[in-house]
Amino acid sequence: MSQPVVHITNLILKYHHKPVLQDLNWIINPGENWLLRGTSGSGKTSLAKAIAGLVPFQGTLSMHFDEQSKLPAVAHYVANWFQFTDLEGQSNFYYQQRYNKQATETTATVKAELEDYGKKHQLQFSDAEKLVAALGFSELLHSTLIQLSSGEHKKLQLVRALWLRPQLLIIDQPYNGLDKLSRHHLNTLLEEISAAGTQLILISNDRELPPSIHRFAEIKDGQLYEIAADKHVSHLDETVNRPIPSFLNETPAISGDSVIKMVDVNISYGDKKVLKNINWEVKAGEKWLLQGHNGSGKSTLLSLITGDHPQAYANNFYLFGNKRGSGESIWDIKKRMGLISPELHWYFDASATVRQTILSGFFDSSGLFCEPDYTKKTQADELISYLGLDEYKDVLVNQLPLGKQRLALLGRTIVKNPELLILDEPCQGLDQQQTQYFNRLVDELCKNGTTLIYVGHFESQLPACIEKRILLENGEVKSVENILESVSQ
Amino acid sequence: MSNYFNTLPLREKLNQLGVCDFMDSSEFLDGVNALKGKKLVIVGCGAQGLNQGLNLRDSGLNISYTLRKEAIEGKRDSWKNATENNFTVGTYEELIPDADVVINLTPDKQHTAVVNAIMPLMKKGATLLYSHGFNIVEEGMQIRKDITVIMVAPKCPGSEVRAEYVRGFGVPTLIAVHPENDPEGKGLVQAKAYCVGTGGHRAGVLKSSFVAEVKSDLMGEQTILCGLLQTGSILSFDKMIEKGIDAGYASKLVQYGVEVITEALKQGGITAMMDRLSNVAKIKAFEISQELKTIMRPLFQKHQDDIMSGEFSRTMMEDWAAGDKNLLAWRAATGETAFEKTPAGNVKIGEQEYFDNALLMVAFIRAGVELAFETMVEAGIKPESAYYESLHETPLIANTIARKKLFEMNRVISDTAEYGCYLFDHACKPLLADFMTRVDTDLIGKNFNEGKDGSVDNRALIAVNEVIRSHEVEQIGAELRKAMTAMKSIKTV
Repeated sequence: MSQPVVHITNLILKYHHKPVLQDLNWIINPGENWLLRGTSGSGKTSLAKAIAGLVPFQGTLSMHFDEQSKLPAVAHYVANWFQFTDLEGQSNFYYQQRYNKQATETTATVKAELEDYGKKHQLQFSDAEKLVAALGFSELLHSTLIQLSSGEHKKLQLVRALWLRPQLLIIDQPYNGLDKLSRHHLNTLLEEISAAGTQLILISNDRELPPSIHRFAEIKDGQLYEIAADKHVSHLDETVNRPIPSFLNETPAISGDSVIKMVDVNISYGDKKVLKNINWEVKAGEKWLLQGHNGSGKSTLLSLITGDHPQAYANNFYLFGNKRGSGESIWDIKKRMGLISPELHWYFDASATVRQTILSGFFDSSGLFCEPDYTKKTQADELISYLGLDEYKDVLVNQLPLGKQRLALLGRTIVKNPELLILDEPCQGLDQQQTQYFNRLVDELCKNGTTLIYVGHFESQLPACIEKRILLENGEVKSVENILESVSQ
Repeated sequence: MSNYFNTLPLREKLNQLGVCDFMDSSEFLDGVNALKGKKLVIVGCGAQGLNQGLNLRDSGLNISYTLRKEAIEGKRDSWKNATENNFTVGTYEELIPDADVVINLTPDKQHTAVVNAIMPLMKKGATLLYSHGFNIVEEGMQIRKDITVIMVAPKCPGSEVRAEYVRGFGVPTLIAVHPENDPEGKGLVQAKAYCVGTGGHRAGVLKSSFVAEVKSDLMGEQTILCGLLQTGSILSFDKMIEKGIDAGYASKLVQYGVEVITEALKQGGITAMMDRLSNVAKIKAFEISQELKTIMRPLFQKHQDDIMSGEFSRTMMEDWAAGDKNLLAWRAATGETAFEKTPAGNVKIGEQEYFDNALLMVAFIRAGVELAFETMVEAGIKPESAYYESLHETPLIANTIARKKLFEMNRVISDTAEYGCYLFDHACKPLLADFMTRVDTDLIGKNFNEGKDGSVDNRALIAVNEVIRSHEVEQIGAELRKAMTAMKSIKTV
């Protein structure tokens, strides 16, 4: 039998001085495609980065690529977020910068970025065009990187990896931010490259995988175990049965009957119309699901509500009963809502601790800039315990694994018990257990008259309380419906 | 028009120079109320104009932009910036007559023309806001007596002003009221409300005067901020080339080194920057920087004297009149320096290496910051003001050098700063010629600690630490930095 492609013996890896992987062993033979699972913080990303040669470790890791193959003899790692840069190679972007128009564009277009990548790796541009089309991305070729939504960044990242066709391709959270159809297309493309010789390692808790994935592993207590295909990640969390902190059980201060009212709202960038004649009313206490494929205008719609879009001032819409642009500040708006989104996560102040992060929810700031009073501190601590984050309280958020980061930011979102919750793919990066658990928390919170707008692609992972759905397509409202029965399971 | 400062009696000169108070956050409890419902019209829509306007509008204020007819008809960048973000844009004639506050965010050079064009259109009792006092103080612009004249100057580039605001913070800001133009006594209240509108009140506000702002701002930018960073970069690079260090390495060490070194300065002042060196290296850097201070002090004093007497602005305005003849020639010459023309090499330089292999740069920065601070304070400027215009801004300017070397620095700073920077650079290089002949690669290009056992005399080290730490710029800096809690750290390369 030929040599294994990856042969790991007694791998030890530390992350910020804490042991993550302990004497881990793994053999990946030619032709094998693996799925890697594990609870948040189990070390999936660390292991992937070690294989790709991106982090130091102890122990032995040998790789044997097929010398006969035409595919590049590399292990290529695709991170869970695309770190793009401006034309000068910097990546100092800030939250919601993409909505502010400045006459001189400083980031490359998708097309230029791909051409550059193709040149570097000697790839045919026509191959990329096919992938771009297959992922429904063609009309964005002339958009600049900063204008893309998180799902669109993910697609660009995937196009680059699929185009490269390395002998070993490791994708961390391949489905994050992708709509249902794109996930389906992605699986077809993964199937194709796997048939052509690329071996896959996917890191995901998703259940709809390409059929070529036939081996499954879980990291637990620093070691790797092979598991059955249909095994749930079992992780009993003692927080599940804990009662919700009492201050979150109170009815939030409700400002009026109508929370959001949009009348013929339009947003365009130059000639490109992103939202067209949107009419939508959200009444106090309603629980909405906002859906639409990638690029349908969901993020833009939400950015209007959260006070983050400059074009809000040119439109006719009402927030909490007041016409937008009638003298209120964005801080007046933000104090009534709790928000989480992939973008907020990405641009969040990385130098804040978990406790500071959660406390900053009282002030709607990214990072904590003032000394909170006693009540706020007590409430934050209660919530930290409830979320099972006690031991991470004083750890910097950016030193935590993705799932724990998310949990801290979710704590920030709800800590002030706001009257409106906007949860834009809140469970990205959480494992199944955490997702279920968080959705139950949302249900609890929403019992007391809280208004909810929830964005999620995965029907199976929604809170039970959702009762209405608005569907966007190409910037228009495609349908508005009551979905009392259909979604919750 | 004659220089406003020079028309003042000495008593009043000292009075206006010596203003700079750090304002308590309780001063801002009234929020934006003083400007609520009023019409704010911004003249100019570049980086500062656009980003301040976005913040003010998001704070619930009524903002529109006025541009010259040609800019509107030609659909220039300023017009695009304003219209694409859904602001109302109009000519001076259309918007100024109804404006309660007119905000002049055009470049210094255009101020006289702009103010002469808008003043007759302004309604009685309106307010004129500047973000720099040059026009009032140095050119002596006289504003109609019914108009209130105030200044609000965010101490950061426009994009930072926006980035910090949207994360719920702000950038440190300086405000002032012109004593000759405060007929209704509303100037300070409006300036404070404007600060709340841009988010500056969350990051620390200094109450200054037009005079103090101009005289300290000019001094800082000419000497430590731009002048010395330029001189230090060029001399360090040239020395490495002369001594056979790889050009790509030398270029990268200087280009990114200033940023990495001054990041320590930003977090913890001169003390933190010097503490990044080993004990032996620190003592050496201390000794050279003392020497540099002695050599350069007369030049720093000359710059401060010329700024105070109005000599600097007089010669610069002559150059304006001559179509920027000197400025353009000097700019071109800077573009031709070897440092500018040598791209940074594709070598990995570790964060600590930027300190260990560039001891000379550390010494330059300590000498420059302390000299600028000392010279300003001796001239009657308050330490708070002197701190902002020296130590506080150095990392911000160093950041522009890291982006695209001196070209980028000189592009980002105002023409006024750029002009002063060249004046300093041209005088400083000959002054340091003799000193530089004694510099070898242990000070710049190679690790100073190499081949040394690292031992130092305890008493010598204690004495050096004492001098560094007890400097007034460190005392005031520690206090002011506490107030600016959450400064973002620059990503190192």
